[in-house]
Amino acid sequence: MNIHTYEKVWLVAAMVLIVGFIATITYGAVGPGIAMIDDEGGDINPDEINDDERFAEPGVEHVGGNEYEVAVVAQAWSYTPSQIEVPANSEVTFYVTSRDVTHSFSVVGTNVNTMVIPGQVSEMTVKFDEPGEYGILCNEYCGEYHHTMEGKLNVVPEDEFDMTELSVEADDEVESGNETTITANVENGMQEDLETTVSLEIGDETREEAVTVPGDGSEEVAFTVDSADLGEGDHDWTVTVDDYEESGTLSVVTPDGNESADGGDGDA
Amino acid sequence: MATSPPTEVTAMRNAYVDQFPDEARVIKAAFWSSFIALAIGGTLGLVQALHRTDVFRFIQSPDYYTVLTAHGVLLAITFTIFFLVGTFTWAVTTSLDRGVVDVRFTWAWYIMMVIGTVLVAIAIFSGFLESAPSVLGSELNADVLFTFYAPLEAHPIFYIGLVLFVVGSWLAGVDWFRTWLAWRSENPDERIPLPTFMVLTTTLFWYICTFGVALSILVFLLPWSLGITESVNPLLTRTLFWYFGHAVVYFWLMPAYMMWYIMLPKFSGGKLFSDPLARVVFVLFLLLSTPLGIHHQYLDPGIAEGYKFIAMTNTMFLLLPSLLTAFTVVASMEHGARQRGGEGYLGWLKALPWRNPIFTGMALAGLMFAAAGFSGMINAGMNINYLVHNTWWVVGHFHLTVGTAVALTFMAASYWFIPQLTGKELWNRSVALGQVLLWFIGMTFMSNAMHRSGLFGMPRRTAEPQYQGFDFEPAVGTVGEINMQVALGGVILTLSLALFLLNMIMTSIGDDSESIPDNTYAGTLSGAEDSPRILDNLKLWTAIAVVLVIIAYTLPLASIIDAGGLFGPGIEGVRLSTWVDPAVIESLGEVIR
Amino acid sequence: MRISKGALLVVVALLVPFVVEFRTALSWFGIKLTILESLALAGVLVIGLLLWAVWPENGNGGTGTADSS
Ligand code: HEM
Ligand SMILES: [Cu+2]
Ligand SMILES: [Cu+2]
Repeated sequence: MNIHTYEKVWLVAAMVLIVGFIATITYGAVGPGIAMIDDEGGDINPDEINDDERFAEPGVEHVGGNEYEVAVVAQAWSYTPSQIEVPANSEVTFYVTSRDVTHSFSVVGTNVNTMVIPGQVSEMTVKFDEPGEYGILCNEYCGEYHHTMEGKLNVVPEDEFDMTELSVEADDEVESGNETTITANVENGMQEDLETTVSLEIGDETREEAVTVPGDGSEEVAFTVDSADLGEGDHDWTVTVDDYEESGTLSVVTPDGNESADGGDGDA
Repeated sequence: MATSPPTEVTAMRNAYVDQFPDEARVIKAAFWSSFIALAIGGTLGLVQALHRTDVFRFIQSPDYYTVLTAHGVLLAITFTIFFLVGTFTWAVTTSLDRGVVDVRFTWAWYIMMVIGTVLVAIAIFSGFLESAPSVLGSELNADVLFTFYAPLEAHPIFYIGLVLFVVGSWLAGVDWFRTWLAWRSENPDERIPLPTFMVLTTTLFWYICTFGVALSILVFLLPWSLGITESVNPLLTRTLFWYFGHAVVYFWLMPAYMMWYIMLPKFSGGKLFSDPLARVVFVLFLLLSTPLGIHHQYLDPGIAEGYKFIAMTNTMFLLLPSLLTAFTVVASMEHGARQRGGEGYLGWLKALPWRNPIFTGMALAGLMFAAAGFSGMINAGMNINYLVHNTWWVVGHFHLTVGTAVALTFMAASYWFIPQLTGKELWNRSVALGQVLLWFIGMTFMSNAMHRSGLFGMPRRTAEPQYQGFDFEPAVGTVGEINMQVALGGVILTLSLALFLLNMIMTSIGDDSESIPDNTYAGTLSGAEDSPRILDNLKLWTAIAVVLVIIAYTLPLASIIDAGGLFGPGIEGVRLSTWVDPAVIESLGEVIR
Repeated sequence: MRISKGALLVVVALLVPFVVEFRTALSWFGIKLTILESLALAGVLVIGLLLWAVWPENGNGGTGTADSS
């Protein structure tokens, strides 16, 4: 075959270019370990998402150290959860699956971007060094309101992040003369123990109790309130743990004919 | 058939219509089908550009996706492939210097493709109706975009129409092969003429790649949409789509390449630099077009990294034929320019026939294709793809490739073809020159802005990319300014399109002319005698191509089927693992990873 | 004329991507041209081009390479 010299030069240059590209990308993939979506996430039956260990309760989970896992379920036209919060300086593994059609889970302006295909679980691990706010959007057409499918990812400073959850159980009403209990349940989503104080403000009284919540566990703190101290009427109360608070109102009422002694049933 | 030039009226004129009047009629019909698709699709493109950017919204956003489905199907499938079958029929008959074996067969496949298109169009456009009529037990509708990813479901006639269209194109291939075989028995020792060689190699990879969609539609999607099967495996049908989806990109690019190889040198005033190299290029396309579809699935779960890596490697090697083409085309243009008296290192550029819309259109299309090459290399990079996948960057990219390299080449070529097919002179050459320049300018605005928006995450295929919870943060400029640039580009493109159609219509209703140039294509400086015979061994190349496909696809498909079932979660009985030990697939997979 | 009218027209068209991409490229370096400034730049380039094109070639008054197509 008759090949012109220039042609040969060009051919060689082209091959060098191509091999160069492949080498660079191979280095990029193998060297610095840029995460790619692959088949690691496994498969799942879209009809059984609710029974799945990971996706039954989607959300952020602390795995240990600075590692977190986030399970997200995509469906037309929303993400559950739609707001995700993780700390800076963390390594977060996302698991995303779809309940219906193909979507994407794309963190705007970053290379955190994956297709979400029903039957498959997309798994990707991302390092977040700095705090920041990102939009999440679906960039695969998924039906007539596809353009409304969005979410939010907040990477908050490490010291502002925790996974504490506070819930309070209390009666609305207590008969004057009786006692009632306000029970704070502190849940610790992190793997490490959480040492903190629970405080209750009621009337003009503030009570505090130190508590150690074990990693990935929860702890209850019960405050017994004597209606005699409060007097009749409505009393606002607030339970505070770190940055979380919950409040309500307790009414102390005069006992009349009806003999229901159901107050103070803090059996939880 | 019409092998000898007719002698009556046109004793001196030797245009295509004089040589092959019967074939000319079919080709003309194919071209007009293609122009109609272009006209409708292009107008819808403007609607999209204005709607997304919120410059002008007159449809409801849910209807946007009906518009987008029509735009994608009509332009990427209908416009391109109708033009292709016309061009290829021209190329085969012209270069073999004989008509097709039976022109009734030619009409048959053409009509089949038309029926397919009409069915598809009915299904898509029903999406605009408040309540679409019910046919075959379900409402007409096909808001599934041209990729029809299951479990988005279209009406069965959408799938049936696609099948008819594709089968029509298969028969077109049969027609070209038949014609070539007939020629070969008349000319046993001759080399395959270059244009026919290009047609045959392209047709071969078309057969290989359409096998994937045919399988996907006939076995999975159509029965599912008819309610015969209950579910599908979305990753499987998606993978089968892309098995076809990348090769189709080359399918519609090949007629443009052919034009650059065999027409551009002629209009530059010279000859094609090298016939052997052109053959090598087309053989490479035959070998590599299909086993890389997974590069569209870099972000898909359920496909191991190793398979993605193979697809990427093949993709990079497929740069080679395009780089070779760039060389050959530029070298041929330079040769032509020097024949025309061009001198100097770059001074020869001045001697090219810039006044000629056919030449200029094709040259600008080639230039834009080079630009597209750069954004394409970004897309092809497995990891950097994560930044741009499914953003408007990609849309910017393929409006340079199919939307310009292909579409502009086709429009420029039409300025040559339509006079050849009708015997009528082009209505207005200056308007034609203005038209190709406007397309180039409009696309510059639109595509530049699209690429830039992709970099800050602007999603594609989205009616209202204005979100509640966050704003886009362009590194450069503002979203508003970039949107205006898209709208401006869209308007210029639509204007250019209107000028093109005007020219085609006016030419067609014009008077017969005696001054139509002869139907010829470029000669070669280094001819077929310089290229090894083995290049013409189509059986060999097809066999290698099939082997490459098997290598690239067997394992990914097997593991997808193993994981998700052949028919998805609904039908457990047909899981691959019931007859292949999953451990085998697993261990085979390990080798790849 | 140094170049044919057709070629001139094409070069003017080529200025569009040049200016658009130039503007994009500059902005990566923090230099932001407004739309008016870009238009002005384009205008200057076009005028420069036209002047260059119609300027007689090296005093050789004859029209340059004619475009025959
Ligand atoms: C008047 C000229 C054109 C205009 C104004 C235009 C405009 C657009 C716009 C704005 C989009 C993006 C839609 C979105 O992402 O939401 C788009 C998509 C697309 N365009 Fe065009 N376009 C034009 C011509 C063409 C041509 C000539 C072709 C091919 C031959 C083409 C092929 C496509 C394809 C395949 C898509 C993607 C559809 C999808 O995502 O499903 N366009 N076009
Ligand atoms: Cu979506
Ligand atoms: Cu591709």
